[in-house]
Amino acid sequence: MMSEDMDLLDLNLDDEFNEEELKKESEELLEMRFLTKENATFARTEGGFVSLKFGDKEYKRIGVYLTFPLTNPEEFISIREADEKAKEIGMIENLNNLPKDQQEMIRDQIRLRYFMPVIKKIMEIKEEYGYAYWHVETSFGACRFTTHMSGDVVVSLSDSRLLVKDIDGNRYEIPDFYALGVQEKKKLDLFI
Amino acid sequence: MKLLFTLTGSQLEALALTAGEKLVYCVPADLAYLPGAGANTDRTRNPGAGGLEKTGVSDRYETATFVAVTNQRLVVLAGDKVTYQIALKDCEKVRCEHQVGCGIITVTTLVDSDENIMGEGYDVCVARVSMRQIVRASYAIRGAQAIVRSLKENGDAEKAEQITSSEYETYCEKCGRAMPGTSSCPYCEGKMDVAKKFMSLCGGFVGKLLLISLSMLVISGMNMARPMVQRWFIDDALSTGKGTWADLGIFVGISFAFLIGAILLEVWKNLACIKLGSALSMSLREKLYVKIQILSLSFINKRKPGELMNRVSRDTGRIREFFEEVFGYMFSTLLTMVVSLVVMLTISPLMTGLSLMFVVVVFALMKVFWHHIHTIFHRQWLKSDELSNSIQDIISGMRIVKTFGTEDREAERFSQKARDYAKTQSRNETFWAVFFPILTFLLGCGTYVAVLIGGQNVLVGKMTMGQLVQFMTYSGYLFGPLGWMTHLPRMVMQMVTSLNRIYDVLDEEPKIKDRDGSKEIEIKGHFQFEKVSFGYNTYEPVLEDINFEVEPGEMIGLVGASGTGKSTMINLIMRLYDPDQGRIMLDGVDLRDVKVESLHSQIGVVLQETFLFSGTILDNIRFAKPTATLAEVIQAAKAANAHDFICKTPDGYNTYVGEHGYNLSGGERQRVAIARAILNNPKLLILDEATSALDTESEFLIQQALNRLTSGRTTFAIAHRLSTLREANRLIVIDKHSIAEMGSHNELLEKKGIYYGLVTAQLRMAEGRPEVKNEDGTAEATA
Repeated sequence: MMSEDMDLLDLNLDDEFNEEELKKESEELLEMRFLTKENATFARTEGGFVSLKFGDKEYKRIGVYLTFPLTNPEEFISIREADEKAKEIGMIENLNNLPKDQQEMIRDQIRLRYFMPVIKKIMEIKEEYGYAYWHVETSFGACRFTTHMSGDVVVSLSDSRLLVKDIDGNRYEIPDFYALGVQEKKKLDLFI
Repeated sequence: MKLLFTLTGSQLEALALTAGEKLVYCVPADLAYLPGAGANTDRTRNPGAGGLEKTGVSDRYETATFVAVTNQRLVVLAGDKVTYQIALKDCEKVRCEHQVGCGIITVTTLVDSDENIMGEGYDVCVARVSMRQIVRASYAIRGAQAIVRSLKENGDAEKAEQITSSEYETYCEKCGRAMPGTSSCPYCEGKMDVAKKFMSLCGGFVGKLLLISLSMLVISGMNMARPMVQRWFIDDALSTGKGTWADLGIFVGISFAFLIGAILLEVWKNLACIKLGSALSMSLREKLYVKIQILSLSFINKRKPGELMNRVSRDTGRIREFFEEVFGYMFSTLLTMVVSLVVMLTISPLMTGLSLMFVVVVFALMKVFWHHIHTIFHRQWLKSDELSNSIQDIISGMRIVKTFGTEDREAERFSQKARDYAKTQSRNETFWAVFFPILTFLLGCGTYVAVLIGGQNVLVGKMTMGQLVQFMTYSGYLFGPLGWMTHLPRMVMQMVTSLNRIYDVLDEEPKIKDRDGSKEIEIKGHFQFEKVSFGYNTYEPVLEDINFEVEPGEMIGLVGASGTGKSTMINLIMRLYDPDQGRIMLDGVDLRDVKVESLHSQIGVVLQETFLFSGTILDNIRFAKPTATLAEVIQAAKAANAHDFICKTPDGYNTYVGEHGYNLSGGERQRVAIARAILNNPKLLILDEATSALDTESEFLIQQALNRLTSGRTTFAIAHRLSTLREANRLIVIDKHSIAEMGSHNELLEKKGIYYGLVTAQLRMAEGRPEVKNEDGTAEATA
């Protein structure tokens, strides 16, 4: 066994290339790479996605990942490869620094990837046998959904901002609890 | 889960099926998305007769958009307009990609919208679904992908696997209520089905049930009779002045006898109900437990562990409660109330009406305040929940709290919550303390009014004194259980839901069971994988087209990054799951034709997460072979290098381990597990990260033990530390769901492929350390 270990050691000492490769890879993981209007160009694809030309590399389709989706949705946007591994290509420090049309492209991709309707009006919350049946008006139109009755259904992100999670895992946002009408607040009483 | 929705006539027309084309899957896409129509500069298009619409995503729910998959095409229908379609033969791949809170359906194709062939495939987003529909869409798209693959392989869509989903719907199709984790909606289910389940539940207890019902009838009868006797006594003996001491004696005697009789019967009935409830829930619990053990892992893994535990403990508890608190009273109370009402009406409809009026008032009041009462108490419950959660949080995170020195902050946070809870609780109790007496008073008012009018009637002779007293007693019978009655529907519904959740498990057929004619075999250890494919969810393959052969006595090392399917392969070998496609042959017999018990009794397993049962170390080592002698146990422990540390524990082999017992370290647990596997003297050995929790020295010692153990036995071993596998005859490298490389250590190194990369990476890492302990125990610096 000793000898085998030894020849493994010999073997890798011969091979500096691989070490370089590994080092490079781990350094790439650490490096903060920013995509700016100088080094990156985004374009719409035929299929409804966005492609990227970054330095001398071209990506046919990229994934847009928000790093602070709830608090800073337009900052530090991580642009990643579209395959399963989703390796990071770079980050956009602030979306507003990109050219206008490219900002819109990225925003469209964000709208495609992230789904969290905003509740505008609570029409009814009816409770029946351990479930609450909600009827609300959202930014996506009227919607009926169902939640459990447990304490983790409505989560507060801040004093006034709430998230509601339904039984399928959809999340709905109530941006300002205090802006709701008296009746609406009363309906939410069960959860707050 | 339904994967083929019905389309309307106009939608079918728009779909325009050609001859020989048939609809296979059709699922709703509930978020608006309009696929682009070619030229990417034009961001608007005309999706039909309507006006121009912006392509891409819109913030809008869709109710009539469907993704239809036929045996030839994939079509997106918005209303009765086709917004996208593609021939499946032109698709490279169709996918349902999970996004955040939603999913998108994408098609990879070589053909662009003007039917030009592109140089390389590109992705098109065709539809978008919310979490409500994502599971359904995933299954349907998996079906579409099966057709795409089948068309590629043999040009025949008919040979594609038909995808079905065993997952339950989250909403009832009929009534739109949420389904409480059951296959059918407890509200819409026919009364007969519920009755059938209830009957089969009561199966062995029919005699007891009848006896209880009979006693309930007798009790109500006795209760109903007492006021009659009372009335006779007052009217015939007291008011007329003709009564004798004897009459008084008879009255008191009869009343007393009835009362005592009723009480005794009641006590017996309650005891019987409690016994029945406990017996029932116990037998259900046993049945459930046995069933869950029989059911294949696939059933159990699809559910959260807590959920199944709930079914065993909470749902059976609900059934018990029902029998104790509801069943025993339900019929007798209902009967008593109806009879009381009838008798009251015959005595005086007016008085009945008046007293009922107050009941109505009370109910109205209850209804008005119901929401408030419910809210404040639900809130109190939430607060208490939060409080206990935060206690749990802080206690389990105590080390972190202490190391960061944030005790004060945490204490302040906790006391804030505790104050909150106390405030809520005292407010609620105050409210209740005021509200409840008011209700009681109002209900009582009905009686006063009745007495007022009844008294008048008695004075003018329209009614006898006895009748009045009888009326009063009956009204007591009627109003007493009213509060309880309001809870009845909820309690019955809860019972029905629990019943359904229990029967869902009991009625489930285990996927892995012995076939007819499956046999016991003496394992020699020859394995052959033939075109094996498998995925835990049908829409996500974990292993695809695995082929290899293992000779008896060979040791096979399984290597690969985490999540590539190594453990899955082992699950298949142990037959915890059956392959979706292909077969595994053991000594020339299909694994599915081997008796499960016979297979498992000859496999020794050491898993990564070493689970020890509550019990002594001795019990745990003897787990697979309870008849082993003490000498055998010690022999096994010695082989596993566990004997020494066991001797050092205060109670030796009798040391209690498990949840509340002696705390063994990860390495010690692993060694006990290895001893357990060795004791069984298995023909087939499976080591899944068996030595991961050990330090280098004990790993070496165990390695020696394992080497003794593996010689002559077919062994499958998974290890991240590749040095563990140096004794393996062959290594199988799994990457991207299939076998990437196979061969001996040296062969694979020469190949300079994935394995080579893994080995050099690990050596590099080892080199990073200043010093490693060598196998002979001496410390030496590595090169």
